[in-house]
Amino acid sequence: MKRGNLAVVPALVLCLVCVVGAILSGSEPGRMTLELAWSGPSRERWFGSGEAGVNLFALVTHATLRALLLAVTVSAFGFLFGTLVGAIAGIRGGAAERWSLRVCDLVQSFPTFLLALAVLSAVREPSRVHIGVVFCVSVWAPFARIALAQARTLRDAQFVEAATSLGATRVRVLLRHVVPNLLGPVAVQAGTSAAGVVLGETALGFVGLGPADGVSLGALLEQGTLAMLRAPHVLAVGAFAVAAVSGSLQLASEGLRRMVRAGL
Amino acid sequence: MTVQGGGAAQALRFRWASRSLSVLRSALARSSGALVILVVLASLVFLALRLLPGDPAALVLGDQSSEQERAVLRTKLGLDKPLWLQYLYFLRGLFTLDLGGSLAKPGVTAFDEVAQALGPTAELAALAVGLGATMGIIAALLSVGPWLGRRREWVHRGVLAVAATPLLAFAPLATFVLAVRLAVVPLPGDPDAGGAGLLFAAGLLSLPLAAQVARIGRAALLDTAQAKFLDVATAKGAPPWRVWVVHALPVASGPIAVVIAAQLGALLGGAVVLEKLFERPGLGTLMLGAYASRDIPVLEASVVAAGMLFVVAQASAGAVQALIDPRGREA
Repeated sequence: MKRGNLAVVPALVLCLVCVVGAILSGSEPGRMTLELAWSGPSRERWFGSGEAGVNLFALVTHATLRALLLAVTVSAFGFLFGTLVGAIAGIRGGAAERWSLRVCDLVQSFPTFLLALAVLSAVREPSRVHIGVVFCVSVWAPFARIALAQARTLRDAQFVEAATSLGATRVRVLLRHVVPNLLGPVAVQAGTSAAGVVLGETALGFVGLGPADGVSLGALLEQGTLAMLRAPHVLAVGAFAVAAVSGSLQLASEGLRRMVRAGL
Repeated sequence: MTVQGGGAAQALRFRWASRSLSVLRSALARSSGALVILVVLASLVFLALRLLPGDPAALVLGDQSSEQERAVLRTKLGLDKPLWLQYLYFLRGLFTLDLGGSLAKPGVTAFDEVAQALGPTAELAALAVGLGATMGIIAALLSVGPWLGRRREWVHRGVLAVAATPLLAFAPLATFVLAVRLAVVPLPGDPDAGGAGLLFAAGLLSLPLAAQVARIGRAALLDTAQAKFLDVATAKGAPPWRVWVVHALPVASGPIAVVIAAQLGALLGGAVVLEKLFERPGLGTLMLGAYASRDIPVLEASVVAAGMLFVVAQASAGAVQALIDPRGREA
């Protein structure tokens, strides 16, 4: 229990650092100071400067914050939609259950990255909204799968039967009795999904399909890879940021898993 | 006696026939699912490039182009026809493998470009998955077998740490340290390096794959570790390696095979990132080039090809699972 709680700490610290850093470094992470291009870390610029003299500290905090926001929004959508679909299908059983499982199968074996590539190549200026929409297409499936498995066991639980025989409506049984009892295991998936979204956004940015303003971890990583010989500190900052974000999210989801398991 | 023997043989034959029938049926169900995914992906690609705001001809030629040039290109791409007719042409093109010529390289068809790019992509994916599977299975065996004593926990922890490290962050750093600073390996994208560059890229790529195989393999091996037949093998005097490799590993191979097939699909479908990461030629590089120059036929062909490889690998993962483990078969 204790260890599970502690595992969430790195993710929270990371969020806090990014918020404070983003506020301190102003609202223009993309501002260029050409004479400082590719210069190393200094007292004014802790992480040094990147291409065309952007302040890497400002860039990395803003980019991380935006990636986290995207991840939270997308996995919140997946959580809500997936839980609802899974719970309804699990309660109704029969054809609804079979069909939603089949749709989950299809969605989960869909090459999301290729879809993102196709959609983003058709818009003139890809933005985070486009990226988020593409990820939303497939993010709900694992949530629905877990919720369905949980709801199936709750379907025959005595308290559900009791509620039904006391005259509760279907919607009330679903929202008051079934959904609260399956939230724990489903919530665990949120961390995994969020880490996946961050890595997906980074990958898209890395191949040049990220947000047009260039404030993304992927774009930073690409800068670092291209300027590996000239300015290795850019690569170090980018790689460390990506590893920190995805690592802390995975750690948090592992902690949640332990907490849920201990609570059950 | 002979009657009984004949009956048993018949029963066996019947069992084989029904088994192969059910395998065939599940393979059919799977491939119809794969076909659905492929058609949906292709249709979405088609729609995305035509329905979203913006004139594709203007995207290809840039804002400076004249209306006349755009009209010529629109006719060439068939964009002046009604949408449903364009879609029919597109579907026909998919099945006859003819989506028109490349816009960037006149005279070369889109699918020729794709066929040429497939070689390097398949090379890297096959080598990485092969290395990853070998290392992963060895790590899984080491983390459950008796050879390392208590230290086998360390193997497991190491595997978890590798699995949690994103390749996207790790690979450029490793390239910088090993290829640029220490210069012990050639740059993976260096055309002169040939096999060594490929080997380095595949080696880096195989680390997370191996970690995944090792995790799944360890869980599967621990599941079978309780089985009585392993005790029987030990009692008959088999050494530990024989017990684990000959008796336990085949039973645990179902989940491992599934992971490996899924990885192959992910590498083929995710070639864009990998090839950019290692600066190597292939399907992903082709896709990015087509995206940059808005070469619509090549973009369509390469996305559909990558999707097909992805989906086929996924479907074969399911089929392999069904072949090895009858419990997973759909009734």
